Amino acid sequence: MATDLRISNISKIYPGCIANDNVSLQFKSGKIYALLGENGAGKSTLVKILSGVVSPDNGEVFLNEKNLKLSSPLDAKKNKIGMVFQHFNLFETLSVFENLSIDATEDNESLRVRVNEILKKYNFSIDLDVPVLNLSAGQKQKVEIIRCLLRSPKVLIMDEPTSVLTEQETEELFISLKKFCDEGILIIYITHKLKEVLSLCDEVAVMRKGKVVSVSQTQNERVETLANKMVGQKLAKIKKKINISKNKDEIFKVKHLNFYSDDPFETNLVNLNFSVKKGECLGIAGISGNGQNELFQILSGEIITPDTSIIFRNKEIAKLNPKQRREYLMAFSPEDRISQAAVPELKIYENVALNNFKSSNFFEKGLVNEKKIKEHSKKILSDFSVNTDNVELKSQFLSGGNLQKLILGRELITAPELLICYNPTWGLDVGAINYIHETLIKINNQEKSTILISTDTEELLKLSDRIAVIYKGKLSKIMPSEEVTPEKLGVLMGGGSID
Amino acid sequence: MSLDISFIGILIGSIMASSVPLILAASGELITERSGVLNLGVEGMMIIGAISGFALMVITDNLFIAIVGSMLSGVIISLIFGFLTQSLLTNHVATGLALTIFGIGLSAMLGKNFVGIPGKEFPILFSSLKESIPFFGPILFGHSIVLYFAFALPFLTNYFLKKTKLGLVVRAVGDSPVSASNQGINVILVRYCCILYGGAMCGLAGAYLSLIYTPQWIENMTAGRGWIALALVVFATWSPIKVLIGALIFGGITILQLHMQAIGFRIPVQFLSALPYLMTIIVLVVISRDSRKIKLNTPTSLGRIFYKEK
Repeated sequence: MATDLRISNISKIYPGCIANDNVSLQFKSGKIYALLGENGAGKSTLVKILSGVVSPDNGEVFLNEKNLKLSSPLDAKKNKIGMVFQHFNLFETLSVFENLSIDATEDNESLRVRVNEILKKYNFSIDLDVPVLNLSAGQKQKVEIIRCLLRSPKVLIMDEPTSVLTEQETEELFISLKKFCDEGILIIYITHKLKEVLSLCDEVAVMRKGKVVSVSQTQNERVETLANKMVGQKLAKIKKKINISKNKDEIFKVKHLNFYSDDPFETNLVNLNFSVKKGECLGIAGISGNGQNELFQILSGEIITPDTSIIFRNKEIAKLNPKQRREYLMAFSPEDRISQAAVPELKIYENVALNNFKSSNFFEKGLVNEKKIKEHSKKILSDFSVNTDNVELKSQFLSGGNLQKLILGRELITAPELLICYNPTWGLDVGAINYIHETLIKINNQEKSTILISTDTEELLKLSDRIAVIYKGKLSKIMPSEEVTPEKLGVLMGGGSID
Repeated sequence: MSLDISFIGILIGSIMASSVPLILAASGELITERSGVLNLGVEGMMIIGAISGFALMVITDNLFIAIVGSMLSGVIISLIFGFLTQSLLTNHVATGLALTIFGIGLSAMLGKNFVGIPGKEFPILFSSLKESIPFFGPILFGHSIVLYFAFALPFLTNYFLKKTKLGLVVRAVGDSPVSASNQGINVILVRYCCILYGGAMCGLAGAYLSLIYTPQWIENMTAGRGWIALALVVFATWSPIKVLIGALIFGGITILQLHMQAIGFRIPVQFLSALPYLMTIIVLVVISRDSRKIKLNTPTSLGRIFYKEK
């Protein structure tokens, strides 16, 4: 039976922000629909409304002309609306089968039979009896999809499903989604990746600042037209001039980096060796959870490993803590801005003072030199075009992009020789990403070096001079970035080998 | 020699009796914590259970009403905790501490008129078998019904958590309340139920003290057992069977060190008194070394406030 989903005049207002402003859309089964927009455009709110997680202030949802009262996730389930969230809704410490059985109505034996049927039908291979925390992101997503399929959904909503997948896993996902679509499931695909829209979807609705700004057939669109609709203005293209000069000095050299942990949430690192030249950007690609966290923490000195040698500017620094490493002019920008890079409850200038250099004289005789810190913070805010000039503002009120600019500003204003950043543009919108990319390129042009650990292939190809891939704690060989293609990276990130 | 063996049997029987309140309270708290709620009010709920049970026994002269009433009083006082932490979203740690302080104060006030009143003898089961079989008699027989229940409880708890649908739901809520909520599970309701169940078990643990173990009311008679039960849950890494082992070790060494003191070992008394705490921690740390298992058993959301999006 054909499915027809209609959203009519949905509005949702949060204090200080209109998340959805009178949104009306119509979807019919047999097609894959894209919902495109930047972070904060209101896609996630709309999806949460459709899945019953939040209820709208205004407006209605109709499924086959039946008015749905979606006041809890149960209502969405009952009405056969399935949802795969961007941040997986799985129970990490429970086994795959327990995760699937938690909302099943049948007994375990018949459930297992049905799950195995689905595994076979769609060629998924997952061990049902291991805890979910042992699975890769791609497998976790499959568990989520199976959970939806078990309820034979009419509508399947995918929220940014490829943000954690490799190229190959993405392709597999697309094949599955097309199969579901052929079987009559209505698919709504939420993303901010333009290429995916063009390669997968039939129709695309673009959202900006809570409103639907355009609905069109994807065959009439190109990357540029969609990007402009999404951002609302024309974006300057940035491209880095790759500079690999063989005769430049190595400023940073890591030898025999090994890390072993008992913790099942951590990844062991096996004999990593690499070096960075002056003015170079070394990219480290990989799907999250393959050892990037551990690598970053070892490079920044949060974890000290025995028998590792790290030479920075001709000095052995492997035994130094983060503060001592900063004194040698290293700088760090961790992945998690809120909990690792900044303290959200502190004011902007207090966060700036956390990066406490001897030379900056923020503290005198144990007392805080507030005036000096505030002057310094003001300079950061203006130099890095952070969207406020109030240094007394609590950092938690900055958007992700502005917080990242503040952190980069804090790290860079001391003119470090080496900046190590981990997913610097994670979760940011196109404008902020552009600014941060420009900044990182500028650093290299000033003959300073960077190590860019990132899960975003596009970003790595744009910024890096040389790229290596980390997979299950092992580093691939380091390749000049002009020899690297997204496909090659994808193979390596999934554990395959090239040549 | 036969005298020695029967003495050891009696000793083991008394060790079992002394560990009952710990097993009850810790098993209840274990379920509460598995749902992601950290209730530090165990001591307070126990002492309220102790005074309510004793007072009801004196007033009604009916032990059944006393036992059920003590559990109900535990439920009522834990309901305060549940309302504050789940509905008003207060901090678990602070609220739990307040509950303990409140419970100790309230029980002292309510108990004023019950000090010095003798308790009633609690019926014991299979008392003839206790006398007639050497060694095993005093271990297996001649105990109150509550003791048998307490020793079955860790196994029932284990079965509940591992094999039943509801147990799975409790573990899921403790692992990730947000995911559970998005799956349509009523997180608040599950947590309320777990809190109330924990309260009932703590109430029963208290009543065991004032009605069976030392049948009388003494102010502050739980004497820190609630805190030991809390520590047992954590050191046993949320495994019911390990809670049982820990409680037995604690009870065992408490009794053994008393005998050692009586015999007059040349070890400082302070050290002997500290021994149960020390040994329990050491043994539980040794048997739960597997960090993988700890990760899988630990309720990830323990003590975190869950806020449902509207």
